[in-house]
Amino acid sequence: MRKKIALVMAAVTAATTLAGCSGGGSTGKAGGQSTTAETSAEAGETTGEVDASKYEVTEPITIKWWHALEDQYSDTVQKVVDDFNNSQDLITVEAEYIGSYSKVNEALVAAHAAGTDLPAITVANTSYIAEYGAGGLTEDLTPYIQASDYDVTDFGDGMIKACQYNDKVVSLPFLISTQIMFYNKDMADEMGITIPEKWSDMDAFLDKATQKNADGSTAVYGTIIPGWDQWYFETFYQNNGVKIINDDQVTTDLADEKAVAVAQKIKDWCDKGYTYWTGTGDDASSNMRQNFIDGKAFSVVHTTSLYNTYVDQCDFEVGMSWLPGGDTKDQEIGGCALLIPAKNDQATKNAAWQFMQYLCSKDVNMTWAEGTGYMPTRKSVLDTDEGKAFLEKKPAFQAILDNLDEINPRIQHKAWGQLATIWKNSMAEVMMEGGDVPSAMEQMADEINDVLGDS
Amino acid sequence: MQAVTLQGYDKHKRGCSNMSNKKINPRSASAWKDFLCVLPVLVFLAVFTYYPIVKLLQISFTDWNLLNDTWNYVGFKNWVWLFGGSGTKYLWNSLKVTCLYSAGELFITLVGGMVFALIFNRMTKGFSAMRAIVFMPKYVAMSSAAVVFLWIFNKDNGIFNYLLSLVGLPAVDWLGNRHMALISVLMLTGWRCVGYGMMVYLAAMMGIAQDYYEAASLDGANKVQRFFKITLPMLSPTTLFLFVTTFLSSMKVFQSVDILTQGGPYRSTEVFVYNIYRYAMVDFRMDRASTVAIFFFVLLLIVTIATMKVSGGNVTYDS
Repeated sequence: MRKKIALVMAAVTAATTLAGCSGGGSTGKAGGQSTTAETSAEAGETTGEVDASKYEVTEPITIKWWHALEDQYSDTVQKVVDDFNNSQDLITVEAEYIGSYSKVNEALVAAHAAGTDLPAITVANTSYIAEYGAGGLTEDLTPYIQASDYDVTDFGDGMIKACQYNDKVVSLPFLISTQIMFYNKDMADEMGITIPEKWSDMDAFLDKATQKNADGSTAVYGTIIPGWDQWYFETFYQNNGVKIINDDQVTTDLADEKAVAVAQKIKDWCDKGYTYWTGTGDDASSNMRQNFIDGKAFSVVHTTSLYNTYVDQCDFEVGMSWLPGGDTKDQEIGGCALLIPAKNDQATKNAAWQFMQYLCSKDVNMTWAEGTGYMPTRKSVLDTDEGKAFLEKKPAFQAILDNLDEINPRIQHKAWGQLATIWKNSMAEVMMEGGDVPSAMEQMADEINDVLGDS
Repeated sequence: MQAVTLQGYDKHKRGCSNMSNKKINPRSASAWKDFLCVLPVLVFLAVFTYYPIVKLLQISFTDWNLLNDTWNYVGFKNWVWLFGGSGTKYLWNSLKVTCLYSAGELFITLVGGMVFALIFNRMTKGFSAMRAIVFMPKYVAMSSAAVVFLWIFNKDNGIFNYLLSLVGLPAVDWLGNRHMALISVLMLTGWRCVGYGMMVYLAAMMGIAQDYYEAASLDGANKVQRFFKITLPMLSPTTLFLFVTTFLSSMKVFQSVDILTQGGPYRSTEVFVYNIYRYAMVDFRMDRASTVAIFFFVLLLIVTIATMKVSGGNVTYDS
């Protein structure tokens, strides 16, 4: 009897596997509902003339908005949502906090694969947009933009590029930030230190800004470099001529001598006690922040979005400075965009589009810019009285507004997430555990090449 | 019960004999009835266990990325990646980490549980309260406990480092140091599991007849001899039970690692399940995740069968 059961089980297993294999090389459908192409066809044209009536909201509908805005923003979130709900009768928005950007990413991709419980609209870290676009997760917004005659040219050029995939707008800039160096302005004035503009001047700067105890240990770090997200150190490499992904799209230059020189330089600073690498742990960000607030670090590399947090918590004046550049002084867009999952039905997408326009409007954008450290996203607002008032209130943002043209979209690649994980882990290992930098970079590049080649 | 059933069945058979000349074998009918009784469970297992395993095997031969709706068959590409490509390094790393974690949890549950059981094997009110204190952490949700331990282990503001500083010792990077991270995860595990081991051993100890101890005492056996010659052998079925269940659960550890370290630093706590999770939910490579999962399944199956075979001859069931 047992033998019979075993034979039957084996046969069923083999049959199922073979049945699957019978398609040999053909494609199968893994998801549950309609694909982007199908839904776009349902909705109407993606190019040329657009029937605006297909994108109108005609019946009352309740939609969900997934966001990653933590507790300190809850009042603003509620106010924004309430204002929208009260401004019209058809759409009711329910805001739902999901967690960090990576948690939103996990939840969104899982819901997309299952084809159920998708939000009508969601935030997404700008680094994920390319992957979502390639996978067909995001709705192509082109027909919506055409139907509503929506002006996307008012967004900063880099911002709107960051929201595109294959030259199609698949998301809109929402809460946008960039990398920045926060520094203790009181300390800087007292010690007569200015933040260097060039990477080559960093040695002298760190030597001056770092304070040591009598036993040689570090009392005040010159700067702290975040290691939990490669976004923070990515531009150090790019501005020194390193191509993170080569034009062939399947190899990296992260093992060449320029890249090794950058990594070696940071390692030397760590070894000298000028700086420390935070690592990748969950508490890395809060530890770094606390060190700066406690006066144990002269400066930290972080995101502009935390400007208000630092100002509120520090009992000294907080300055912001553009990161030291090399051949170039480019930086990258951070923060999040808004997107509409493509697998939603058309009525939900239409309602989401209405809410998306509202969230990206000048007024709402300025609400966020004033209450947080996120940047104004509209070019037109900068020359208005409102824009000038913003700068008066937050003069430190002048460092960013002076360099708006240097803020670029993130690198877009299907395997970017995998690359980023390998990169940050390898960097953390060599910075914190020691080891030979060139061989560590070589090993890391091999792994990244494998991932890029297989994507 | 069986007689009544057969009697009823005989009546039924007689009633039916007029309608059909076919004779129904009572053993066969009983087997069918048994089969019908377990059918719901079989259906459940088929849908939620066996089908996913078969599906997993199928996906391991594809290039399915969770973001994509479509996939292609790629033959043994993922298996080559796992055993001859860049996946090999992380496979052996997660295998090593899982084995270390498993050995640690087994040690804590079995040895720690036994020690606590011997200490608390007294039926007084005070000891009952202490037993409850040791056992209680088992009922604290792992997620809640891990979040609290995250704070306890914090390098700058954690209570452990505060206690170390009181005795003049330097701060330890509990979760950020590759040599300490797994130990830290095991500390949380130990805090939660040692009480469970203790309770299981205590229950088993109470089932050992006192006659053995009295006879041994009369023969002049001391406490140590009584423990090694009576208690330990008599507890061998319990030890086997604890070993197998703890081993299997430890191989599947995930939550504590996810909250405390996310597999880091430098993958030093990346156990098997977290390795699979990383491929599936961080990289969205369902193809690679499925390949590793199938390997893990086969490995667990082999180890479990081997454990049962090896331990089978060394267990004393007669108490």
